[in-house]
Formats: sequence, C-alpha cells, structure tokens
Amino acid sequence: MTSKRVVAPYVLILPSFVLAALIVIWPVNELAQLASHSVNRFGQLRDFVGMANFRALLDDPNFIDALWRTGIWTIGVVGGAILCSVPVALVLNEDFYGRDLARVLVMLPWAVSLTMTAIVWRWALSGESGMLNSALMDFGIIDENIQWLAEARTAFPMQILIGILVTIPFTVTIILGGLASIPDDLYEAAALEGAGRWEQFRYITLPLIAPFLNIALVLNTIYVFNSFPIIWAMTQGGPANSTDILVTYLYKVGFRLGKLGEASAVSLVMFGILLVFTLIYVRLTASRGAKA
Amino acid sequence: MLAGVGAIALSATANAGTVRMTVAEYSAKTGPYFEQVAKDFEAANPGIKIQFEVVPWDNLLQKLTTDISANANADLSIIGTRWLVDFVEQGIAEPLDSYMTPEIKGRFIETFLTPSVMNGKTYGLPIAASARAMYYNKDLFAKAGLSEPPKTWAELETDAKKVSALGNGVYGFGLQGKEVETDVYFYYAMWSFGGEIVKDGKSGLDSKAAVDAASLYKRLIDEGATQPGVTSYAREDVQNLFKQGKIGMMMTAPFLANQIRAEAPNLKYGVAPIPKGPGGDQGTYGVTDSVIMFQNSKNKAEAFKFLDFLFQPKQRIKFTIDEGFLPVTKAEAEDKYFADNADLKVFTSLLPIARFAPVIAGWEEIADTTTSALQRIYLGQGQIEPTLKEAAAKANAVLKK
Repeated sequence: MTSKRVVAPYVLILPSFVLAALIVIWPVNELAQLASHSVNRFGQLRDFVGMANFRALLDDPNFIDALWRTGIWTIGVVGGAILCSVPVALVLNEDFYGRDLARVLVMLPWAVSLTMTAIVWRWALSGESGMLNSALMDFGIIDENIQWLAEARTAFPMQILIGILVTIPFTVTIILGGLASIPDDLYEAAALEGAGRWEQFRYITLPLIAPFLNIALVLNTIYVFNSFPIIWAMTQGGPANSTDILVTYLYKVGFRLGKLGEASAVSLVMFGILLVFTLIYVRLTASRGAKA
Repeated sequence: MLAGVGAIALSATANAGTVRMTVAEYSAKTGPYFEQVAKDFEAANPGIKIQFEVVPWDNLLQKLTTDISANANADLSIIGTRWLVDFVEQGIAEPLDSYMTPEIKGRFIETFLTPSVMNGKTYGLPIAASARAMYYNKDLFAKAGLSEPPKTWAELETDAKKVSALGNGVYGFGLQGKEVETDVYFYYAMWSFGGEIVKDGKSGLDSKAAVDAASLYKRLIDEGATQPGVTSYAREDVQNLFKQGKIGMMMTAPFLANQIRAEAPNLKYGVAPIPKGPGGDQGTYGVTDSVIMFQNSKNKAEAFKFLDFLFQPKQRIKFTIDEGFLPVTKAEAEDKYFADNADLKVFTSLLPIARFAPVIAGWEEIADTTTSALQRIYLGQGQIEPTLKEAAAKANAVLKK
C-alpha cells in the first residue's frame, strides 16, 4: 500500500465534487444567507435576524395550509398518475394495429408547455363560456353552470386531475421501459403452469417493473412538489389563498409582497422536505435490495 | 485572446454613451413604439445610443428585483408608481429635480405628477395614467327598460337586477373577484360610501363605509345581479363578458374602449361616471406608472436627455393613443384626439376625484390581505364585519412597521 493509492481516488473524485458543490451547495448557502437576514425587496441583505423569518412562516396560517395542501397535491397527482399509467402502459405494450400512433398520442401532451395546458384548461373551466360546462349541459349531466374556479372545493380537485393528466406521459414512458425489459418466456412458462392474466401481472409484471415504478415515484414527487404552472395559471392560488401550494405561496411572498427573506425560508423548508423524502426513499430501496 | 480583450475594450467605450431602459410591455405596440423613439432620438443626438429591454408587465417587478440585487439594472425603468416608496426608501431611485427645468416640470398635469413626489423631491415622471369609469351596455339597458346609466349605487342595484332579469346568461353588474385589483373594484363602492383605504395611519377596512360597501356587493351577488362565481373572474374575464354583451355594467379603465373598437365593434356601450353614494361621495381609482432613474446609473445626463425627448408632445401623443391611456402632459390633453373623444371626457372629468394607491411601504401586502378578505366574503365563507375587522387588524400591523 502506497500513499499514492490512498490519495488517488480522492483526486479523481475532486472535480465532480467541486462541480456538485458549485451547483448544489452554493445556492443553498445563498438561500440560507437570505433566510437568516432581514432582506429588502431588492434582495439586498440588511441585519442578521436568525430564525425570525422561519418563525414568521409558522405564524402565518396560509403557510401551514399551503404545506398541507402541497401534501394532498403531491400524493394526489403522483398517486393518480401512477395508477392511471400502469394500465395505459400495459395496453401500449401489447402488439396491436396502430400501436405506434397510440404511443405518439399518449406522449403528445408532454410536448405541450405546461403553462399553455393550464391556460387552455382555465378557458375550458370558465363558468359562463367554458367548454366543460357546455359539454356537461349537452349530455344532461348538469342543468346549471358550475363555477369551477370560483372556489377551492371545485378548483383544487380539477387542478389535481389536470396534474395527473400531464404527468401520465412521462410515467407511461418509464413503465414502458420496464415492461420492455421483461423477457417473454417468463409469461410463456407461467402460462404453462396455468397462471391467469391477473396472476401473471401480480407475480411477474409488478415485481419486475417495481424498480421503474420507484423511479417514477421519486422523480414525479420531486417534480410535482415543485410544480408551479398549473395552479398559478388557473387560480394564482386563490380565491383567498385556498388553492396555494408551497411554490405558489413562495412566489407570492417573494415577488408580490417583496419579503425575500421569508420566501427563502419557504424555499429551504421545501428543500428540507424533499431531502428527507429522498433519504427515506434511498434507505428503503437499499434495504429492499439487500434482502433480495 | 488579444482580439477578445480588444472587443471588450471597444464595447466598454461604446457603453459610455449608451442609455439602457427597462420598459413594461403594455401591448404589442409597446416594443415597436420604443424602437421608433430610440431611432428618432439617436438621429437627433449622435453619440448617445438607446437600448431597451421590453418586459411583460407581470414579470416587471420580478425582473427589476433580480437586476437590482445583481447590480445589473438599467439606467431608466418604468415602474408602477405604487412601488416607488420602496425604491426611494432603499435609495435606488435618483431624485430628478436637479435635472428638471421649470419648463419640463410645467409640461405635466399636476394630478399625475404628484404621486411621484416624495419628501418634496420628484423621483419619477408619469409615463402612463388611467382612471376608472363605468361602462354600460346600451342594448341591454334598452331591453330592460332603462334609459340612462345609474347615478347612485342604490340605482345601480335596482338597474342591475332588472338587467339580470333578462335571463339568457345576461347579468346586470360585472364584479371582479380574482387576481390583481380585486381590492380596487371594492374601493369604488367604499369611497362612495365615504370610506378611505388608510386614514390617519390606520386601515379604513373596519369602517362603516367598508362594511356598507361589502354588504352591497354581497347583496348583489346573492340577488343574482352579478355574474355567478365572481371569485373566478379576473379583470380580463369580466371585460370579456362585457365584450360578449353579457354584462350590463362594469367599471374599468379607458383601454376597454380600444379593445371594444377592435374586437366587438358592434357593441353599443356608453361610459358614465362611477355612481355616487348616499352622502354624495364618489371616487375613482387613478393609476400612474412612472419612469425612474437609478441612483447607480453612470449616464445620468444622457438618460435625462432621453427622458426630455420621451416627454415631448409628438412622442407622448402617439404612446397614449396606442395604449389607450389618459394624457399626462398638458400638450397631449389639448390634442384633437383627446379633446374630442366623448368616452375619454368622462374619464378626464373624474380626475378631480381620482384617488391613488396610498404611498406606503407594504402596500402590496395590505392589498393582498384586502383581496383575501373580500374573496371570503364573496364566497360566503366569512361574516362581513368580523372578516373586515380581521383584515383591518392585519393591515394595521403592516402600517405600524
């Protein structure tokens, strides 16, 4: 053992480490600076205030509400998207006439900007001239216009639905990748043993695409948790902050009210939540991997 | 390498005579207008170059915040005058008095220049101004048997009910309950009932006038005199309903007339003053945007030279007509276009009673609190008096800071 052997790995790892530090640690450090100081609305640091910005958040009922709502939003959208994507991916994995076209159709919404999708839905959900109301009227499902975006009770579930809709393409793509990796002879063998379609799905498909579902779960959670356009374009978190999630709340606090210190504190809280979530997730998958 | 250094040196000298200005995009006409002004100015003033960054209104404050914190702001910028107090308190805006001749100062209509005067110093020049008046649909009024627009809020309530009674998705009073200026839409009535946004350093939201105004709006909603679901209607949404001929009355700015001319030329509408309250009080909302100069600008003389040019009649008249605002300089107001325009006359006649957003730090937060409280009242999620009291308490806490 020479000292060279001991040092070499660290030297090799150094460039990536420096890069990671620049990309990750520097902004977090900047945020911590902002969050622990009183900051004027132009981002210029004034006095050190310690945890005051965090305390101000805890005193704000809108923050607590937004925190809970972010949980509902993330679980709703990610859960809904995965539940819907598995059957879609299974169908698209079958060999049928026009499959390529069907795949393109499913992927297409992905190519449309999220903001634009949200704006189109804002029009579709408009109370007096919206497409959804006229369609429901034509089918005789409702006899009075529903004011979808007028209150959280109808607006927020619709936003979650749209969130699910736009998350499906990406999720389907990942699951399709998983399905493609399952060799056909597994199913042939299972069929010979007398396994039905449900049993094949339960005991072959599901375990084998589990790692892919995990990827979809983690990436979607991070993405949806931080997703801004749908809610902002449709209700701006209103009426009366009743559809705010943490990012829209953060934007309002930071750029509308000019409290950049508090906004940075929100941002750090969000970073913390996602970090904890990711760590738990890594622990879980690592231990499961060890058992297998 | 040497060539690169040379290029940097060259661009540095070029920058010496370059004035950068951040411009808010009011419409598709804004960008081309400023391009033209820059061309004309550069032709008249060789050696000075003008550079614009045209930014959508919604992102303007965010962009300025980022630029200023990075010390990369332009020399001049358009800002909402209600933001000015922050710019002044943080030492970001440069007082313009030392550059301004009495002639330049004399060009402006006093009402519009005063909001940018703080502590006796002029920090901005008004570039855009508007006030609000009531638009009404003449066809719907005729169908409902009404011959003229309401003069008081009591009349407005009966008239709105009559128009709503026409049915077929037609509603009497277009009420805004979403996004920016939801609070302003409420002040129209509050002022008419004798209320003030801030009086003696205290919020007027818990005053009798505010409660009366909120009760009136809530009654209009409950009586079906407004469009349903007011909390899902931003200003643009209500304006669209008006353009579609579905709304009897609404209050908004002069630019709606421009939009109607372009998008719904057959709509028969009239413009009338904001109705009066029981005590004869009346108020409209005046808004100005100002151009400020940054304290850290390195080309202050050149920048002001450009401002002087920008505020000459030829440039001003084109801008104001393009964007559908009100004249801010006396020379504009005398121009035939404005002097003969019946719609605009109503707006200008309201200027003596126009009120501006109070010049206080934290105004945006108070506006936000007010909007939230109103939305809860409109939705029936809060009793009127306690909800307004709570909002007033929050506003007072902001005012004390």
